[in-house]
Amino acid sequence: MNKARSIKQNAPPDALPNFRNLGVTLRILLISNGLALLQALLQANGWADMPLHMMQIYTLLTPILLSSLLLLWAMQPWLNRLAYWHGALAVNALVIMLTLFIYYFGGELYRPPGRADVWFDAVRYTLLSIMASAILLIYFRWRSRVLSRALHEARLQVLRARIRPHFLFNTINAVLSIVRAQPRQAETALQDMSDLFRMAMADMQDFVPLRQEIELGRQYIALEQLRMGERLFVEWQIQDVPDDALIPPLLLQPLLENAVYHGIEPLPQGGSITVALHCSGDELRIRVENPCPARDAAPHSGNRMALQNIRERLALLFDVEARYQVESGKNFYRVEITLPYMKEKAV
Amino acid sequence: MSLVELALRVFIVDDELPARNRLRDLLHDCSEQLPLDIVGEAGNGQEALDRLLETPADVVLLDIRMPQMDGIELAQHLNKLPKPPVIIFTTAFDAYAIRAFELHAVDYLLKPIRLKRLFEALTRAREAVPMQTEVLRDLLPEPRKFLSIHERGKIHLVPVEQVLFLRAELKYVTVRTAESEYLLEESLFALEKEFATRFVRIHRNCLVAKEAIEGFEKGGEEGEGSGWMVRLKGADELLAISRRQQHIVKEFG
Repeated sequence: MNKARSIKQNAPPDALPNFRNLGVTLRILLISNGLALLQALLQANGWADMPLHMMQIYTLLTPILLSSLLLLWAMQPWLNRLAYWHGALAVNALVIMLTLFIYYFGGELYRPPGRADVWFDAVRYTLLSIMASAILLIYFRWRSRVLSRALHEARLQVLRARIRPHFLFNTINAVLSIVRAQPRQAETALQDMSDLFRMAMADMQDFVPLRQEIELGRQYIALEQLRMGERLFVEWQIQDVPDDALIPPLLLQPLLENAVYHGIEPLPQGGSITVALHCSGDELRIRVENPCPARDAAPHSGNRMALQNIRERLALLFDVEARYQVESGKNFYRVEITLPYMKEKAV
Repeated sequence: MSLVELALRVFIVDDELPARNRLRDLLHDCSEQLPLDIVGEAGNGQEALDRLLETPADVVLLDIRMPQMDGIELAQHLNKLPKPPVIIFTTAFDAYAIRAFELHAVDYLLKPIRLKRLFEALTRAREAVPMQTEVLRDLLPEPRKFLSIHERGKIHLVPVEQVLFLRAELKYVTVRTAESEYLLEESLFALEKEFATRFVRIHRNCLVAKEAIEGFEKGGEEGEGSGWMVRLKGADELLAISRRQQHIVKEFG
């Protein structure tokens, strides 16, 4: 823990949730409905009463909730630029306005004829809206703090899991073997290695340009090819990948490392790895496929940790919007990661 | 013996070409102070056995992690050579093996290998005696992947996964694969212990591969045995099950 702190001193500042994230939207819906249920339970006098109360609550809650979500979705870039407390106030103000607006224009739906206490209702609904959005904001603030701590841990773990000793020493050995005969090739290899390690040891950011990650993957493969020669063949299928795409760092390289270590190294005649990257709509897909020889040796623990770490980081960064799928057959092993396409400007 | 020290014959086994080249360079550097001869190199187990039978070596520098066959297993097969060489293991990183080496005082070199360490190991190797096969078994507790068989002046490696059954016959054990038959000089009891997960005993003198069992048939001579026979995929003959092992008919039937 102490070590963790020395690497990055400050906890990240509080931030509003990303209202364009599906996971956030689902959570808002779930919690609001939970609160509605609670309210109905408090008001009702018996089971028979419940449906009526629920109906009453939902006729008002649903339009407020949906319009709030829609507007927040639209205002997300603007909200992002505000300081946390300003943003929180803006969200509250928005919800109050929507509540009053809907209550006022809902007409007889909310104000049955003969109901005298119109003012009481207006104030009551406003207060309930404020409470609900406050509860949600507090929840998201708490969640983001817990998440950022978890994310921080996960990043540190990347550093620890990153450099596989087997790869490091074998590569140094391979470079040493060509120093005398092919000094130029040795130079390139050392440069590739230093790039790889710089990336691995850098103070981890949440996102890096995809092209940088691809370059890193190529450098890694070049180093492995130095060692394994023609036994290792990699086919890159890069289609429609925009130049401004971002991905979490060290996502591709551990997948490649896994493919080399488990898929190619055990094969005396070697084999071929397919790396496919493509972008469709707002999704980015990364697929790594390798041959899968009969495995009787236990998977390398450091490597398993790296893969586990990828899953964890994806969940922390994208919630339900990223997928990590593994498919394996008699002689192939395929990992496919799907994550939202993010542009450089947006972050 | 001549007064002139005979050159130390060294052989290199590593699946990676750069690693072999590196060792060649280092051995070349050593040769200025220590008379030595690089008699050959190999990228895998079978190649190593073939070459070493042709041109024997005093010392084999042997990589641990190789595809197909682990270096420690290869060392066990190398012990079947007419004059087993002294083995120095090389490894980049292998926490488990290194602990085992320390325990048995086995010499090993860490990659990237330093000239000084290689020189020392080679100097020690002059006086060393080949490792006992039992020690090597201890270093690699998992069963071997190959059986090594002497045949017409060659050492042949038969993958264990191709073996259909093993049958004890007087001095030897018959090893049967779908294609052919070999004679192995090991005890059936030790083989049963080593490959317990793969083979099952059906008779005092016979182990069959569990995977190869196709079915059971009632038949054979009355009197001795249970009357049950095993039919194996890829083998024509039926093998008798003894009365004591009859329970396997239920387990695998």
